[in-house]
Amino acid sequence: MKRVQITLLVAALALAVGGYLAFTAPLDVLQGEYTRMLYIHAATLWLAFLAFAVTALGSIMYLIGKKSHWDRAAEASAEIGILFAVVGVFAGMVWGQAVWGQAWDWGDARLATTAVMIFVYIGYLALRRAIADPETRARRSAILGTIAVVQVPLVYFSVNLFRTLHQTQSIRPDGSTMNSEMVVALLVNVAAFTLLYAGLFMGRTYIARLEAAKAADTTLAGDAVSPPRLTEIEDV
Amino acid sequence: MSDTLVVVVTYVVVYGSTLGYAAYLHVRRKRAEQ
Repeated sequence: MKRVQITLLVAALALAVGGYLAFTAPLDVLQGEYTRMLYIHAATLWLAFLAFAVTALGSIMYLIGKKSHWDRAAEASAEIGILFAVVGVFAGMVWGQAVWGQAWDWGDARLATTAVMIFVYIGYLALRRAIADPETRARRSAILGTIAVVQVPLVYFSVNLFRTLHQTQSIRPDGSTMNSEMVVALLVNVAAFTLLYAGLFMGRTYIARLEAAKAADTTLAGDAVSPPRLTEIEDV
Repeated sequence: MSDTLVVVVTYVVVYGSTLGYAAYLHVRRKRAEQ
């Protein structure tokens, strides 16, 4: 647990630095103060992509090796991914209201695909809660976790594949369209949120391990006191 | 509401949400450790 607390503490310090850089970086001429939305909107949604990719990795590894720790990692990452996706979309909606004049547009490919991605991962968590048997739950959710990740590249490249209201990527392999101070502020915020994700992920998997051990103990106790089946009594 | 205030409130909501989730995990851990 000490490792989790240290990671979260470092993440909090990094977020404070990121917040300072976000509020001192130069502003876009047209967007003014709303330029600062970039640093939390892009950073949190990047983290959601990373978290869902980790869910897919955990799911694939579970299907290969049937080790329960991969299943717990997949679940933990999906939960944190939804959190980051929702807050990222919220920041984007506030930004959109200010610069586009509307918070949401179902006709926009980036927005619609992001919404579908969030709903699918909420469904992933709902599926986990609907199945009581741990092995069946792990196998079925691993299949969904593996398939659901196709949405991540779909959301990311939707701005290139379709005509959208949402702008295309500002940082690309061939360079950036942003001022260098803005790029530094964005990268520091991405790093800070990545540290936060790491801390939350470690904490969440630790809890899942404790809860799994507790559930196993409860099952054993239940078996010990469960009544014999009537057919067994008749056989005797 | 001024533009700066809207941006600051959005930052508070985003940071606050992650802090709230961390607090939820803390409570859940305490319960699991009992």
